[in-house]
Amino acid sequence: MIGELNLGGVFIPWLLITALAAFAVSLLVRVLLRRLRLYRFVWHAGLFDTATFVVLLWITAWITSPHTP
Amino acid sequence: MPRRLIFALANTGAVLVALYIAFARDLERPYWAMFTVFIIAKPILGAVRSKAAYRLAGTLMGASMTVFLIPPLVQSPILLCLVLAMWVGLCLFCSLLDRTPRSYALLLAGYTATIIGFSVVNQPETVFDTAVARVEEISLGILCGSLAHSIIFPRNVLREILGQIDSVVAACGRWISEALQTQSPDLLSAERRLTQIVTELRLQYTHVAFESSDTPRSGRLMRLLQQRVGLLLPVANDLLSAVRTLHAQGALRPAIAEYLQACSAWAACFMEPQALPPTSLRQQIDTALTRGCSAAGTWQAVVENTVLFRLLELIDLLADIRDLVTALNHPDTPSTALEDEVRWPDPGKYALTSDPTVAALSAAAAVLAVLIACVLWIQSAWPEGGVAAQFAAIGCSLFATLDRPAKLITSVMVGILLALPLAALYVFAIIPQIDGFPSLAVVLFPVLMLFSLMQTIARLEGTALVLAVGFSGGLALQSSYQANFAAFVNSNTAEVAGLLIAAIINVVFRTIDPLWNAQRIARAGRASVRRLVASDPPMVLAGWTSQMFDRMGLITSRLTTARHDASVEAGIDPLRDLRIGLNLAALRDGIRERVAADELACVVAAVDASYAIQEPKISGERIYVRIPTARAAKAPLPSEHIDKALRALTNTPPEQRSPKLLAALTSLRLNFSADPPPALTAPIK
Repeated sequence: MIGELNLGGVFIPWLLITALAAFAVSLLVRVLLRRLRLYRFVWHAGLFDTATFVVLLWITAWITSPHTP
Repeated sequence: MPRRLIFALANTGAVLVALYIAFARDLERPYWAMFTVFIIAKPILGAVRSKAAYRLAGTLMGASMTVFLIPPLVQSPILLCLVLAMWVGLCLFCSLLDRTPRSYALLLAGYTATIIGFSVVNQPETVFDTAVARVEEISLGILCGSLAHSIIFPRNVLREILGQIDSVVAACGRWISEALQTQSPDLLSAERRLTQIVTELRLQYTHVAFESSDTPRSGRLMRLLQQRVGLLLPVANDLLSAVRTLHAQGALRPAIAEYLQACSAWAACFMEPQALPPTSLRQQIDTALTRGCSAAGTWQAVVENTVLFRLLELIDLLADIRDLVTALNHPDTPSTALEDEVRWPDPGKYALTSDPTVAALSAAAAVLAVLIACVLWIQSAWPEGGVAAQFAAIGCSLFATLDRPAKLITSVMVGILLALPLAALYVFAIIPQIDGFPSLAVVLFPVLMLFSLMQTIARLEGTALVLAVGFSGGLALQSSYQANFAAFVNSNTAEVAGLLIAAIINVVFRTIDPLWNAQRIARAGRASVRRLVASDPPMVLAGWTSQMFDRMGLITSRLTTARHDASVEAGIDPLRDLRIGLNLAALRDGIRERVAADELACVVAAVDASYAIQEPKISGERIYVRIPTARAAKAPLPSEHIDKALRALTNTPPEQRSPKLLAALTSLRLNFSADPPPALTAPIK
């Protein structure tokens, strides 16, 4: 998670990449949950989505940590 | 009040968090993050997030463009200024054609390039760092702002809309009910209110894709609702003009008067849960219509049938609106009736009209303003001239949708001037006394809170934004305190000078008389009626209607002060054009079904020709001259052709007489002349 990716001389923090990936996955999760009408059981959608994102970010970071440059 | 307080607290908190992170990460210009929070702050979550997303996209686009443009062009300043000015113009042009919230991204792409580009020309090697800093700080502000507003008591767009729509639709029902009884309705105010609500629905609903996840998207229902509410106006108008014709010929038949009475009673309370749609009344009217249609031989009978047909349409529309509002209110209990795609086909995405001429004019004004600022900057070796060029671009871009942008640019200038003393007080008196972030947060809190609270009041929203941005820019908080009175005055003078240039250019080249613009829009509407007639394969009616309604909204927003008859005199009557278009579309369907096709084709051609002739000429700013009527008199009037078609239609066997065609012809006829046709007054055969 900590470290930078060297992209043609531009250093991109690895955290940014994992965060973008996690955000993309969280968008998919949201669409899926909405299709299944599961948001009826959620008290606070904004909070729930933020929490989902944090969990997904942790999972992405955990999965990619062995390969982090 | 607590609602506003919570919003303001959330917003202030977001600003402070953004500032804290920016200071902690040692970012270049933390105040960029600071005013971004203010810019995206909106009372409705969907609007916050859509603005945030498009602001990020636009900043990325503009920053990339600068990184691409500056290194090769920095050695030739004139070329660089030209290219950046053209880029601003191009982005502005494209964004004006779009007219959805997406247009903000393009707008921003234009002037972000000038903000970054003109601030690095003296140290071109820093262009990449500055571009990255801009993107970083804008994203930081966006993240803090949208997170705070997503989590802390968000307000959702659907609830806002439903809150409004219930009352508006009920008011509409009362208006129709009253109009059916008195026959002398206040058409103009109803027209304005309805167009306003349809425009409002569309504007608010464009943000729904960005709403919190528990908000159902129900785009189809929303589009259906817009379309039905939009159709209320032409249908009610056609009905009323038919009823008025009957009244002019004498008393109403008791049956008709009774139907009108019953309908009016239901319309007065049709949104109440206990007021069920009048199925039996509908059935009665339907049988009366079938009976009347087969016996139609006199002008009076034809008009009576039209009244019945329009009444049916009106009842269906109101019942549809009632069902749609109920379905939107209870998204989790899907109504089986609404799943019926046949009765409720999706009217398709709302098509907006665009005006390339005005867009091009605005873009040209922006290019000119930026170039003038650049010339002043280069020729006078003005060190802060770049800031003036940036603000010239910003001023020209932000208000380009208005007919008279100069007014608002001037008020922004005044706002910045008002914010300056406050910023100066902070920079030179308060901030030198403090130390560290906590004390900075404490001293900033009251001002940030004040601006955030002002943003919650609709009337003060714009002022608050200008003050907040002016204040943040004047403060120009950076990691280390570096107060320099000369620099403070110089950069702020340049901001005001840039806006002044923008205002002057707009006064000179881009001030449009709203009435003139309304006339142009009305003319485009008439051209679109002719296109509807000529289109082959036939245009989709729902899309056409929504475009006409969009034009109606644009026109009514420009004619808030003009009197109705005055605007009709000037050739502006979008409602009449809409009604004629809808009736022509019904005739078009009749032609396809081969019922009295030749006569109908003649009617369509005659109406089309009358539209070609009636084009009012515009000369000068406020003089409206109709083309001499002599030319118009030579062509046969559309009403003569309509009479012929009516005669042909009433002579067809009864089972072929379509009530829709008869009603369309009669309504069309009443639009052109209210006198009874000579041949139909006496029964035929």
